[in-house]
Amino acid sequence: MKHRGRGLASMWYPVGFTGYANPSGAVVKINEDGTAVVLTGTVETGQGSLGVMAQIAAEALGIAPNDIHVVSGDTDTCPMDTGAIASRTTYITGNAVRLAAERAREMLFDVAAGMLRVKPDMLEAKDHKIQVKSFPSRNAAIGDVAYKAYNDVGTPPIGSAMWNPPMIPMDPETGQGKPFGTYVYATQIAEVDVDDETGEVEVLRVTASHDCGVAINPMLVEGQIDGGVHMGLGFGLYEEILFDKTGKQINSNLTNYIIPTTLDMPDVDEDIVENYDETGPFGAKAVGEPSLVPTAVAITNAIYDAVGVRITALPATSERVLAAIKAKRAAEQKQIPA
Amino acid sequence: MNVTLTVNGETRSAEVPPETTLLVFLREYLNLTGAKTGCDIGDCGACTVILDGKAVNACLMLAAQADGRDVITIEGLATREGLHPLQKVFEETGALQCGFCGPGVILSAKALLDENPAPSKQEIRNALAGNLCRCTGYVKMIDGIQEVAETMRSVPTPALPAASKGEQKHG
Repeated sequence: MKHRGRGLASMWYPVGFTGYANPSGAVVKINEDGTAVVLTGTVETGQGSLGVMAQIAAEALGIAPNDIHVVSGDTDTCPMDTGAIASRTTYITGNAVRLAAERAREMLFDVAAGMLRVKPDMLEAKDHKIQVKSFPSRNAAIGDVAYKAYNDVGTPPIGSAMWNPPMIPMDPETGQGKPFGTYVYATQIAEVDVDDETGEVEVLRVTASHDCGVAINPMLVEGQIDGGVHMGLGFGLYEEILFDKTGKQINSNLTNYIIPTTLDMPDVDEDIVENYDETGPFGAKAVGEPSLVPTAVAITNAIYDAVGVRITALPATSERVLAAIKAKRAAEQKQIPA
Repeated sequence: MNVTLTVNGETRSAEVPPETTLLVFLREYLNLTGAKTGCDIGDCGACTVILDGKAVNACLMLAAQADGRDVITIEGLATREGLHPLQKVFEETGALQCGFCGPGVILSAKALLDENPAPSKQEIRNALAGNLCRCTGYVKMIDGIQEVAETMRSVPTPALPAASKGEQKHG
């Protein structure tokens, strides 16, 4: 018979390395046509991080993300980046890109101040223009300001920056410190059906609430959550690397190392809880790895809710769940007086 | 041996060793590298192509078995006018991330929609069951295919990009 259960799990997750330097550098140059180039050492693997870098630079420069050309991952041309790891790209590389764009923008403001006859601190970059904050009709196109900077004033608007998250190294005696720049939080709820005759677990629905700071690109945040729930589902129910006695992996094919298919994947309700983080680029933090942290625990808690057994070794395969159900029944039988 | 087949509306042929799979034939003899070599044993679906209207794993078929038949690969979907609606929706909604599974997923979805223009969510899940994806959890793919099915149903038949023969010739 199938039993329905719901389980909940929460997590926090730190962004970046534990108490160690993990900087990112970035270079932003503004072109005479009002577009810009971002050089970054980080790499794109499909998660959309370079698009987010373009959005961050565009926001700082008052132009559109499509106006940004991102050059990435080429060690001949790009500044150092610790890497697309530790869910750090948006937070740490993003801050470097934001700072570099702001420095290039300051150079444009100095040039535009002369053109518009105001002080540089009275200017803002918006809608492809440098304009006077309280008087936006007094403005100059960013391309025109950049052209003047290159050809008349002689101050090409090129900004470079690096960023390392603010940390306090942990004291080796007391363990006290602040090893990360920021943290993200999440709660996921899983709804499952557990068959008490076979031990089979079917995950029907996962609701995933994630605090990722400000979601710079909500569509990509949802994509990360979907993928994380998928990996968490595999971690929770299917995926296990098995070795023989000589240490050789015995399930090295996708036939026997099982990752969830469309038939295993539940509906996912992604819930982005925006929370401005003052250390992040435009308030953003992270979402990548955190998205899979609570899933397996939410599922095993749901199994407990459904059939009353605690699964303490992952994955919760049918065999393990059935063994736990049988052990529970046996223990209950013993308790009945003869 | 000689293998001659129709690929994306064009007749193509090559002399190949008899043990050549359809996947190797497409990738190495016709230089159509859209179908991906993933597991090469029929588990992952990255090599999916459409053979006479059905989605098949090109790695599990001999090229000789496809002789004289009609094959559609991912290269045959986009036209000079633009992307196939499935490609367009996948691009716009972020349905693919690393993209390695993409050609296979899109062709499995096209084979489904050609046969069943109004699939339920479960029918879409069944059609994609042989395509593994490590990045996306399939969520936005399934939503995207539903969206395409709805749009294609609301467009009059002549504009249906999937059914148009003329379009495949651009391939």
